[in-house]
Amino acid sequence: MDWIQFVLAPQVINGLAIGVAVVLMALGLTIIFGLLDVINMAHGEFYALGAFLAVVLIGLGLSFWLALLLTPLLLAAVGYLTERTLIQRVFHSKDRHTLTLLLTFGLGVLLEDLLKIVFGANPLRLETPIAGATELLGLFFPNYRLFVMLFGGAVIAAVWLLVFRTPLGAMVRAAAFDRHMTASLGVPVHQVYAATFAFGVALAALAGVLLAPMYSVFPTMGRDFVFIAFSVVIIGGMGSIKGAVLAGLLLTQVQSVSSLWISPVWSDPLLFGIMVLVLVWRPQGLFGRLGHA
Amino acid sequence: MKTLFVATLTSLAAASVLAQTNPIRIGVVTPLSGTYAGIGQQVRWGLDLAAREINAAGGVSGRPLELVYEDSEANPAVAVQKAEKLIQVSKVDFLTGTVNSGATLAVGQLAERNNKLIATTVSFADSITGDKCSPNVFRVNARAGMQSAALADWMAATRPNANVFYLGPDYEMGRSTVAAFKNAAEGKGARTVGEVFAPLDNKDYSPYFGQIRGARPTVIYTSVAGNDTVRLFNQMAEFGVSRNVQVVGASGTVTSQNLAAVGRNADGFVTGVGYSPLIETPENKRFVAAFEAANKAQPDLYGTDSYGVLFLYKAAVEKARSTDTDKLREALRGLSWATPQGVKTIRAGDHQAMQDMYAVRVNGGRFEIVGKVAAAAAIGPDVCTRF
Repeated sequence: MDWIQFVLAPQVINGLAIGVAVVLMALGLTIIFGLLDVINMAHGEFYALGAFLAVVLIGLGLSFWLALLLTPLLLAAVGYLTERTLIQRVFHSKDRHTLTLLLTFGLGVLLEDLLKIVFGANPLRLETPIAGATELLGLFFPNYRLFVMLFGGAVIAAVWLLVFRTPLGAMVRAAAFDRHMTASLGVPVHQVYAATFAFGVALAALAGVLLAPMYSVFPTMGRDFVFIAFSVVIIGGMGSIKGAVLAGLLLTQVQSVSSLWISPVWSDPLLFGIMVLVLVWRPQGLFGRLGHA
Repeated sequence: MKTLFVATLTSLAAASVLAQTNPIRIGVVTPLSGTYAGIGQQVRWGLDLAAREINAAGGVSGRPLELVYEDSEANPAVAVQKAEKLIQVSKVDFLTGTVNSGATLAVGQLAERNNKLIATTVSFADSITGDKCSPNVFRVNARAGMQSAALADWMAATRPNANVFYLGPDYEMGRSTVAAFKNAAEGKGARTVGEVFAPLDNKDYSPYFGQIRGARPTVIYTSVAGNDTVRLFNQMAEFGVSRNVQVVGASGTVTSQNLAAVGRNADGFVTGVGYSPLIETPENKRFVAAFEAANKAQPDLYGTDSYGVLFLYKAAVEKARSTDTDKLREALRGLSWATPQGVKTIRAGDHQAMQDMYAVRVNGGRFEIVGKVAAAAAIGPDVCTRF
């Protein structure tokens, strides 16, 4: 009983909070892939950029909540410009996957180094905006993490509604499914693409701000979640929102609970092992592509 | 060309006959860029200050010291190349400055092959003056085992028979620091209630907090470093894990580089070290004032031990009346010299400097001294068998 209360239950709930964080990261990645067919290797750096921007905004005297609102909007603009000026140039090439992958990879390296030059390599920290902790049935839980779980859950639900239940979402899905047909129906496809990319980047930035008080802020922080986010996208099905949510929550639970019995360093190999198995058994992932199923 | 050659020969002959006044060259291989650039900066500040003071007071046996710097980029392979260059091209008489323990071991082997001496002022790994000791390598700073001894002593005095939980990064440094402290702590009556090794660059420690809470420790020992410290300490505070628990750790866990980001969550953390700027002796106060005047920054243990090494070299050369490697080695063995931390002595058997050790507690961004262990009690057995 002691073991369940002190060890297993906190492990499961802590895993859930990390799971929500991972899903937020994977969501932007999977939308950009599913709708735009672009593998965004700079996703982790946009996440870092979001966290640093929040540090700057809060340093200027803004409240955390205003920064949480403004940062995704500002980075959406950066994402929009990135798509229009860089990605669109190679988008119509035959080697789209290779070229966009290399381009965004280079962009990621560049952004990481820029952050290092501007802010230095030492870590920065955001104060937790909601202090204190709640005790529930003898379990101890930080209030901010509870907020992250609820808020993150709401964001995920809102994204799903936006993509599947609004005319805007229908337009985006149509553009992903058949570009020429959609264009001929009068949809400004290029702008839809740029907006989709911007939306994915904004989600990464949102995750960056939301997680900064928990994980601290430093130039290489983008690498933290991007590997697990990529595995989540692959396992869930490239471009599937449902898949990203399910795989994200499942994988973080596997990592969290398995670390009770196996050495924590093995939790990453375990994760990538599952990813390899899924690729062999079901290359399309648990769910199919967005807009195609 | 021929004239130049003859002139050089003549001057060389003259130099060996008359008392020498040409500079003694000290080669410094230290990270001036990369991960450890912050440490390299302290090394350089300490050495520069010592060289200025020694030269202003007439040099070493009347010869000025000249420091020749090379950037090791915190990479053992690069450190070896640069040390080779210092020996072959710059013709240095002595080497120092290595930071990374791997670099110290590698440059030590090179020094042995070239019959030169090297002293590290930073590297912690016990093996450097332990099972991998070398007749050509000396260490003037405190090694990991001495730091553990000081911390274990403080813990036994303030938290007798503590229940200790260990949390380390899962690689060589993490495992060896935990093993060393566990050994020292259990020897003084502490009980081990659990241990966990988290991957390096771990983002979230909360999955381990259940285990820690379930083990009900009174003391948590950790040897994480850098960003990992920031996350661990802040997350422990967030989850209340460190409430009513004494957190202790390795001397590299909380440093000037991450102290600002850990903020007040670092308060109360205790570690064992060989130096604190707050040591209340006239020598140390004079040193700290001079260091701050020269560099607009406080000295840390790296800067202070690098300052001290040149005074060791001066004492040894003046005792040996020579810069010859064999004579110098003999002079260094058992030699005592004054440093800002007090008098240190090179143990002849393993070339490890013996010094008083301190337990320090973080309080509002400063390292307050809360305990002291005499040199003889902290040094531990001599396990070097190579000479």
